[in-house]
Amino acid sequence: MENIAEYLKQERGQEWREELRKSMKPKERLSKDRVQMIEEDSFLRAQSHIEVNRGITVQMAVEEAKRCLDCPDPTCIQGCPVSINIPKFIKYVEKQDFALAARTLKETNALPAVCGRVCPQEKQCEASCFYTIKLKKIPVAIGHLERFVADWERNSGKMYIPEVAPSNGIKVAIIGSGPSGLAAAGDLVKLGYSVSVFEALHEPGGVLKYGIPEFRLPNEIVDVEIENLKKMGVEFITNFIVGKTATIEDLKAEGYQAFFAGSGAGLPNFMNIPGENANGIMSSNEYLTRVNLMNAAHDDYDTPVLFGKKVAVIGGGNTAMDSVRTAKRLGAERAMIIYRRTLEEMPARVEEVKHAQQEGIEFLNLNSPIEYFADKNGRVNRMRLQKMELGEPDDSGRRRPVPIEGSEYDLEADLVVVSVGVSPNPLIPASLPGLKMSRWGTIIVDDKEMQSSIPELFAGGDIVRGGATVILAMGDGRNAAAGIHRYLQNKNKK
Amino acid sequence: MMDLTSKYLGLNLKNPIVIGSCSLTSNVSEIKKLEKHGAGAVVLKSIFEEEILMDAENQLQEAKENSFIYDKYSETLDYIDIHVKEANLNAYIQLIKGAKKEVLIPVIASINCVSSAEWTSFAKRIEEAGADALELNISLNPTDMEIRDFETTIKEIIQKVLKTVNIPVAVKINNSFTHMARTILDLSETGIAGLVLFNRAYTPDIDINTMEAVQGRSFSSPENFVESMRWIALLSDQVNCSMAASSGIHTSEAIIKQILAGADVVQLVSVLYEKGAEQINILLNELEKWMTEKGFSSLKQFKGKASSKNVGNPAVFERIQFMKHYAGIN
Repeated sequence: MENIAEYLKQERGQEWREELRKSMKPKERLSKDRVQMIEEDSFLRAQSHIEVNRGITVQMAVEEAKRCLDCPDPTCIQGCPVSINIPKFIKYVEKQDFALAARTLKETNALPAVCGRVCPQEKQCEASCFYTIKLKKIPVAIGHLERFVADWERNSGKMYIPEVAPSNGIKVAIIGSGPSGLAAAGDLVKLGYSVSVFEALHEPGGVLKYGIPEFRLPNEIVDVEIENLKKMGVEFITNFIVGKTATIEDLKAEGYQAFFAGSGAGLPNFMNIPGENANGIMSSNEYLTRVNLMNAAHDDYDTPVLFGKKVAVIGGGNTAMDSVRTAKRLGAERAMIIYRRTLEEMPARVEEVKHAQQEGIEFLNLNSPIEYFADKNGRVNRMRLQKMELGEPDDSGRRRPVPIEGSEYDLEADLVVVSVGVSPNPLIPASLPGLKMSRWGTIIVDDKEMQSSIPELFAGGDIVRGGATVILAMGDGRNAAAGIHRYLQNKNKK
Repeated sequence: MMDLTSKYLGLNLKNPIVIGSCSLTSNVSEIKKLEKHGAGAVVLKSIFEEEILMDAENQLQEAKENSFIYDKYSETLDYIDIHVKEANLNAYIQLIKGAKKEVLIPVIASINCVSSAEWTSFAKRIEEAGADALELNISLNPTDMEIRDFETTIKEIIQKVLKTVNIPVAVKINNSFTHMARTILDLSETGIAGLVLFNRAYTPDIDINTMEAVQGRSFSSPENFVESMRWIALLSDQVNCSMAASSGIHTSEAIIKQILAGADVVQLVSVLYEKGAEQINILLNELEKWMTEKGFSSLKQFKGKASSKNVGNPAVFERIQFMKHYAGIN
């Protein structure tokens, strides 16, 4: 930690940074208003899948970068799970050297264009910004700037491909091509390993592709990041299910010396209430995968998806917001969030809730489904809701929803998307009897190296966390890559 | 051949010994053992509402202490109480399915609930899992100052469950109601298939050496059987449902007395903990021996023979007995 502090101090002490700091008085920086993200018109966007946030202009980015005080103690970095050198990249933006800003991001973040779009910055780096914690003011728009830099680089046609060490010939297998797998692959290939990423689906990208809709994270953005990894030498093997197509033992026999399990939490949870088996009730995983990855909403694709006029999405997280906004775009007349607490307790990002509200999503808060009813063809047509009130806070600090007796009422719904969380994918654990698991079905790993009870197996992301954010998964992938490197160095020394 | 069959909750039992809800009925191998030793039916270990709530609370606490599990944006954490409930219920469903697959005797599921909130959907799934009947153990806490009308709350829970399931529903109550006779009669009119008198309340004690509160005797005592026998004798002719006697039934004599009072079945627990499952057969043999001595060939011949309607002096079950004995009033 001391070394990191020293490194940051040295970086901050560079002449160009000092000059930039002197070029404007802190008072002037503090007087500037935070930039507002350009958004697509809510009426237009709700009828298409175009990206909602349109990015910010060069001028806006530079003005926003000027707000950053380039603090001697950059607390924002502590709020970032992958420890991006935030003041450095922002000061490069102020200097209008966007290529070096991009390079700075890529020192620690393999997917800046993704993180700039989907990270809950308001709860991470921006929550730790000097403006927030000391001045009680609106923080620097770190997320918007990250996105701006990544987009600028991509559009410049001169993407920086990080340098890769000469090959050491050691094979490492990455299981799953979601954010943790991609981050681990990026770091390991830089260190000279021969990295193969095994993906169960037909396209790499994991939850970034199947889970996050086009209007929030275009697949094209993810594809560019994957292309970069390919250029660095990472091999992607799709339609390959580790634990089924081949086991870890089989892969060991093929020469793989270490493994990173980042196969996510693909097992959707349901509420198991009466009638939940009716047609037209599905998990958000299924709904979003059909639409996002398999183009089910397009006439020229064979994948079917049910269209609903009255769509109820159960839950209050980001996946619930993605599902309900997708339903709106697919023609729902009523697209409703059914959440048993209030807006205040919702786990979804504030921005996603705001966008949903702008698009005409109805929020039926303090409501919980207790039963579903189907028509003569078995398709859901009605649900029974129970009104809730908030009781005492539970151990997590959230106020517990308590049913109000006698408050049940019926609501018409012809499509229900259940978005009440996911459980870890059980395939890998099931094929490894000696693997230590938690009571939640997650792989138990040590805090720093992400090493499991099977020494050559490391893990991260949702299979360890049970459901987290893209950036936390990426942080795990990076920590695991460092752990795998140390493990293999020690192993091959002996 | 002696006919020990009895009808309880509309189910045909080969004999009147039902194993009450306890840890002995919490796994399939024990249930098989109980059947082998002669049990007429089993009531599975209760699925406890409070236990599930506590489990959810503990898991939340654990999740908070684990730096990896479920961060604050997690939808899974947001619904952890539901998932914990689901895991507990799933385990229970597996127990029902396992028991139904392995034994021929009726399997009665048991819910120990303190509210009617979500138990109706649980009851539905218990029915779908194949349980032959459902026993509701409604444990309203007598020290709960919020509840003003216990009887109404119990009836509301019953009504909700009856609307949800088609299998017979029995209700197990405790022995402390303001007007026990009225309560029993009213409950028997709600549409339930049976009443179980009574569940065993937690017994506290105080250790006089450490001067601390401790748990009292867990098991019933043989003399406890009188509590249920009294009300069964007084009301078995008037209720509109089956009656099961529970608590304190340790001997064949107690079984015979309960049947004479009008019970359809008896529930055993403590005696099996103290003497083992083999005791079921011993008790059945003693019952048959008594029936032979008295010239009975079936339970029906003597069931209710000593109920209040059939005894010459029903006052023996009432307060007048006390007046005679202690106050010398004739």
